[in-house]
Amino acid sequence: MNENIILLFYIIPLLVGTAFMTRAGDAMGVSLAGRYPTLVHRRRRHLLGLNIVTLVGFAISVHTLWITNKISEGGEVCSSATVFSCDDVLGNASYNVDPIFGISWGLIGMFAFGTFLFMANSVSKDPDARWSGQYMKWGFYLTASGLLVIALLVSYEIEMEKICQYCTTAHVANVIAMYGFWRASKMHEDGEWKDEEPSSS
Amino acid sequence: MKHNTEADVRTDTAIKILALFFVAIIFLAFTTSPIKTGTKEGERAPPLEGMMYNGSGWTQFDMNDYMTTNWTVGDANGEWLVVKFMDTDCSFCLRDAGEFGQVADYFMKISEENDGSPAWNGPMVNFVASATELDIQGHESSRAEIISYRDKSGDSSCAGQSCSSRGGDAHNFMYIDDLDQENMEEWKIPGTPSYFIIQPDGIVAWVHSEHPQEKVSDGLFRIFNEQGLMPDE
Repeated sequence: MNENIILLFYIIPLLVGTAFMTRAGDAMGVSLAGRYPTLVHRRRRHLLGLNIVTLVGFAISVHTLWITNKISEGGEVCSSATVFSCDDVLGNASYNVDPIFGISWGLIGMFAFGTFLFMANSVSKDPDARWSGQYMKWGFYLTASGLLVIALLVSYEIEMEKICQYCTTAHVANVIAMYGFWRASKMHEDGEWKDEEPSSS
Repeated sequence: MKHNTEADVRTDTAIKILALFFVAIIFLAFTTSPIKTGTKEGERAPPLEGMMYNGSGWTQFDMNDYMTTNWTVGDANGEWLVVKFMDTDCSFCLRDAGEFGQVADYFMKISEENDGSPAWNGPMVNFVASATELDIQGHESSRAEIISYRDKSGDSSCAGQSCSSRGGDAHNFMYIDDLDQENMEEWKIPGTPSYFIIQPDGIVAWVHSEHPQEKVSDGLFRIFNEQGLMPDE
């Protein structure tokens, strides 16, 4: 199957997860409330969306590492003569590992999104815990620091004049997760955290 | 009785995330066999790119164009690659230039028997020299000097003598402009000359530094013999 079509299997849930965290999620929550009553609550919808986004980020990081490994074996996964060629980016030995420890970016993505998923999932299960607000803040700071890494990786892509569409999707997932953690933290601070709160924004 | 259950939630979540992580790692372990990129034997050779001079002009060179990704050991159709890192002002490189040119002509099937057939009937071996400019006083180089060194022409100076007076004949293999040391840094070359034999699939088969007693030709013969690629007598 074409790798760009496979990418849609990540992009679609990413969009659904994002929708749950925005005003579009309100309408979705209402329409799905009959089958999933808990979705009527804004906090629950938001955290569901955040969990989906971080899970997609984790899955796409695994896929990126898989592509990197396959290219190192000598295979071609998503090679293209156009600007969108993840083979050229992930197969470039100068840029496909971090400059300090030499760890593949895909593995770093797995650790990062695994941590975000842990935070989002823990808060979802126990939103009233003392640490839930703190976890949302940490999630925001961690995803915000990820912007520096994204800037570095984008600079590599500019230098290579090639774009890795899988990496870009993971970067977008990080940015959306950053918004998700920031919004959840704000909801927590503003007292919009309880299930009893109105479901619309 | 009241008790704190906060730790249970996080522990439970952590175990689930770790399980997901291990499943991903196991999946990767079963479906891929990554090969490290590097310049040790068995590793995938780093990229080798740049402007190349082949006797007629400067054109773009990319090592990948010479590789056969689906090559398997024992396949005689794949083309091998010998890479030499050198400096036109390096006296060791100058001393070796004549013999290396002969070896290149032999394995590139330019040398002929009396009947006109190629002297070497084994797998095709391409040769490429990556010409750098070492950060040593007196090692200033240029594309004109590279041309002069390769073709034994012009009046450029190589290590204090005319490049055209170096030993051996004019070379028939490609020279890459690596005056900015980009390839040299990529391949972590400590000094010149340095030699590598690259399999058709891009894997480093032989590194001179790991076999200091062996010359490039000896290395090629040994590897071809081990892989059953020596031509029938």
